[in-house]
Amino acid sequence: MNIIEIENLTYSYPAAKEPILKNISLQVEKGDFLAIVGNNGCGKSTFCKTLNGLIPHFITGDFSGTVRVDGLNTLEADVGTLACKAGYVYQDFENQIVRPTVLDDASYACLNYAMPDYRQRGEEALALCGLQGRQDDYIWQLSGGQTHLLALAGAVSLQPDILILDEPIAQLDPGHADRIYGVLRELNEKHGKTIIVIEHHTEYIADYCKHVMLMRDGTIAWKLPAAEALRRVDELQACNIFPPQVTLAAHRLQRQNRLPSDCPLPTTVQQGKKVFAHLRYCNGDGKSRADAEDRETVAQFRDVGVSYRSVKGEDRVVYSGLNLQIRKGEKIALIGSNGAGKSTLMKLMVGLLKPDRGEILLNGENIRKKKTEELSRQISLVYQNPEEMFIKDTIAADIAYAMQVRGVENYRQRTDALLERFRLTELKDRDGRLLSGGQMRRASLAIGIALNPGILLLDEPTANLDIATRKEIMRTLAQIKAVTETVIIATHDMQLVCEWAQRILVLCDGGVIADGTRDEIFGNPQVVQRAGIRPPEIFTMGQALDRQALCYTIDAFLESFKEAQCVGFKNEEKTF
Amino acid sequence: MASKTKKKLSENILDKFSIDFLRNQVLKNAYGNDDTVIAKLDPRILLIWYLFLGLVPWFVSDLWFLMGCFLLVLVTTKLARVAGLVLLLFGIGVFTQTGYLFIVALFFGGDASTIAPLLVLTLKVATCSLASVTVFSGLDPDRLSNGLMWYGCPERLSFSISYAYRMLPMLMEEFQNILLSFRMRGNPPAHVTVWGKIKYLFYQVKVVIHAFYPLMLNTAKRSRTTVEALEIKGYRYAAVNPQVKKMKLSTLKVTYNDLLFLAVSFLWIALCVLASTLF
Repeated sequence: MNIIEIENLTYSYPAAKEPILKNISLQVEKGDFLAIVGNNGCGKSTFCKTLNGLIPHFITGDFSGTVRVDGLNTLEADVGTLACKAGYVYQDFENQIVRPTVLDDASYACLNYAMPDYRQRGEEALALCGLQGRQDDYIWQLSGGQTHLLALAGAVSLQPDILILDEPIAQLDPGHADRIYGVLRELNEKHGKTIIVIEHHTEYIADYCKHVMLMRDGTIAWKLPAAEALRRVDELQACNIFPPQVTLAAHRLQRQNRLPSDCPLPTTVQQGKKVFAHLRYCNGDGKSRADAEDRETVAQFRDVGVSYRSVKGEDRVVYSGLNLQIRKGEKIALIGSNGAGKSTLMKLMVGLLKPDRGEILLNGENIRKKKTEELSRQISLVYQNPEEMFIKDTIAADIAYAMQVRGVENYRQRTDALLERFRLTELKDRDGRLLSGGQMRRASLAIGIALNPGILLLDEPTANLDIATRKEIMRTLAQIKAVTETVIIATHDMQLVCEWAQRILVLCDGGVIADGTRDEIFGNPQVVQRAGIRPPEIFTMGQALDRQALCYTIDAFLESFKEAQCVGFKNEEKTF
Repeated sequence: MASKTKKKLSENILDKFSIDFLRNQVLKNAYGNDDTVIAKLDPRILLIWYLFLGLVPWFVSDLWFLMGCFLLVLVTTKLARVAGLVLLLFGIGVFTQTGYLFIVALFFGGDASTIAPLLVLTLKVATCSLASVTVFSGLDPDRLSNGLMWYGCPERLSFSISYAYRMLPMLMEEFQNILLSFRMRGNPPAHVTVWGKIKYLFYQVKVVIHAFYPLMLNTAKRSRTTVEALEIKGYRYAAVNPQVKKMKLSTLKVTYNDLLFLAVSFLWIALCVLASTLF
């Protein structure tokens, strides 16, 4: 039975010249778990909004064709009726929460539609989303992942048959991301809900979704079963979608004629184990650790303790007795789950937060007595949310600001040079807020290095970006490496960590639980387990084949795994 | 505990008096005391109580009566566990209303006898303020708005109150971050000399004003989702459906405690009136 039936849907936003959705026809079966993928701006979110009636009832525009949701024509039903058919969770889900307490927010829609059992519905929705026991909590007591679950519960409470989620895990650490998808799977399998997600993380698609739909320039290129869809490597990459690393690795093996071309590409590590079974790990050149011990220390934490005031009860302790040395020229990644204190550490270093006890030295001087303004030539922080860095009305003015007020000579030329380097010259007169995600990041990086600081701190530079933009930012970060001496990045993005960092600090339970190179961190299962780190998929693949293998990129994987006969094993040829 | 707090306060009072501190106090004030006696009372009863103590003292000049009312609201303020910042503002407010008059009077040759007339005025101001503090900060915003709605205030007002409280912490955090951007990138004037300090003050004020512009734009950007979400969640339907209002108000219930609270207050006021007629 089809729960969604769309015929010849064409839609354009008011005052837009071209339609954003062009002649779309689609059927979605009841109980499907569908992932929608596609380039930025190809109309994914717009498409989803046609399903719950926001388009055309709330957002007007040119609408033609029919959309039937559970047999109901969206043109004939109102938003209220459709909200009970299709629930929607936004990408910026925290703005979707309008009530101060958890149960209140979960049951708010039911109350508004005058359902007498609204409280009970709210409680049931919370239980389904794994938030039981948190009914009376205030929303700011929830972590990012829990807030997302609450937004989901708000949608589930109306008991819709369809749930639509726009990039559910873009801002979450792997632990929370797994939990969200766990909840979605249960809703899908046990409660028969149809789930539609807009998703860039193809590993999650491979693990959880049943079908994949590729959108291209406002049209549907195809809708296929997930495994089959993810194997269309070339088509996906043309749309800036990156299939799982396992699939990519196998695809490249096929190109090199190391895998038969009729062998179906694996999409998960489990499948990879079979397909790659004929490969053997041959120890690559063991890279020795860059010896940095003798370099001078630029920043130091001595027995630092810090805690946040809480609204009720005891203060929340973030660090108790943190000791840390950061040496000149290091490229450090700070990892750990949401709330482990990554941002706090950065705020401490720039003097935005004062420690309760202990001291922080920057270039040998205690920063307690120093004003933030005085530190800004030595150290610079780029926020997670770039919007908060735009304090002028054009990005050129934003980049120039710090140099201008300090009377830096030829600041105009420097601004132009920075705009050029970050490919922003075309956009220099635009307000930063109106740029796309990747452009905003680049602008915020340019602002961050304007004063040529010796130490650069970056808070989640790749969060909330689609994979293509993420790759672009990673290239930009590689450029910065040459310009700025010491760089520290706080991130959940393990591909970034593996490809970029020389030293990794793992934060957990109020302190640093591990400190070392990527081999020392990812090769240590206890640390990985305790801090909830999810290594890049290709690393897990390598590990699954051989515990000794430590490959962080597809290139490394292809190089260090060779056909059995090359390493001297007399293995029979595998047949597929 | 008290000494610890004191030590913390004296250690770096300026460090602590930040937007972060304000945010924390606002939250504490709104939601940090939902388990007090006052918070558990029915908002309608409390509003009646407030109407009396907020209005009547203005029309009475009897010292005994005013003193009694003041003591009563002092006790309820204590019971409501009002956040420190609010009490500090209250203190400053009362002083700027009347306290300075006393000092001025002393300066121009007045003596202790000036206290009596000033005391009456001070008590009036203080009683009304503390009664407001008890009601508006003792009740959490939701219960308060429900109470107001029962008395016929439009639904939109009561939604706005609780939504404002929901948004305020977020807005303050955002404002703080924008201010931090200014601090990290700005170059304030040196403030060693007196003139430098004045310039520094002006600089600070300028930064706060400048910071509003990005704050507004960022908020506008956020609210797009909120507006759509409210539409999906049926906010517009609820506003025209009397059934919803009924359901919301059905959570209000006058209990034994409410009556007890009213009775004790009434008895105390009666005693005060009695005392003022006797003496």
